[in-house]
Amino acid sequence: MEKSSHERKVFSRYNAELFGALILYGIVLTITIYVGEPLKNGLEKTLILITPMGPFLLMIWVIVRLLRRVDEYLRLTILENVSIAAAVTAATTFTYGFMENAGYPRVSMFAVWPVMGAAWILVGVIRCALDR
Amino acid sequence: MKNILRELRAERGWSQAELADQLKVSRQTVNAIETGRYDPSLPLAFAISRLFRKSIEEVFLADP
Repeated sequence: MEKSSHERKVFSRYNAELFGALILYGIVLTITIYVGEPLKNGLEKTLILITPMGPFLLMIWVIVRLLRRVDEYLRLTILENVSIAAAVTAATTFTYGFMENAGYPRVSMFAVWPVMGAAWILVGVIRCALDR
Repeated sequence: MKNILRELRAERGWSQAELADQLKVSRQTVNAIETGRYDPSLPLAFAISRLFRKSIEEVFLADP
């Protein structure tokens, strides 16, 4: 489907900003792992290993900028999709938490993010199908 | 809320994307308004009615 020039402009700027933030995150992450991993556990290592959260905050800022730039209907649908995806993620991770009590292997908290991403994609696909 | 946006757009021979460009919104927004899935905010409703030189009541019809 053809996009309006307003939409193209908004999303091309968002993609450029997000790509820049991701590149910066990748660079900082690589450096901090290289520098921080050999250190002994303690405050110094902790501070170095959480440094990538700086560029991560930049990504949050990029998303806030997108939400302020998009039109009212897109803002509504994006926020609805994220809200439903968050609820699906909560249900999924809670379920697995109970399953861990039943003997299933412990999984890192990092696993929440791919679940959230998958739920977001799923909600988006279902919405597209229903909106046709 | 019903509206006659699709008819007004068709009279001028505009595509949804062309109308969206003039309103500075996405094509999905125009589509959602035309199909009645989304009622626009007052500022957007005013922008639409201004573009077609009509009053809001002529473009948007309250449900009976």
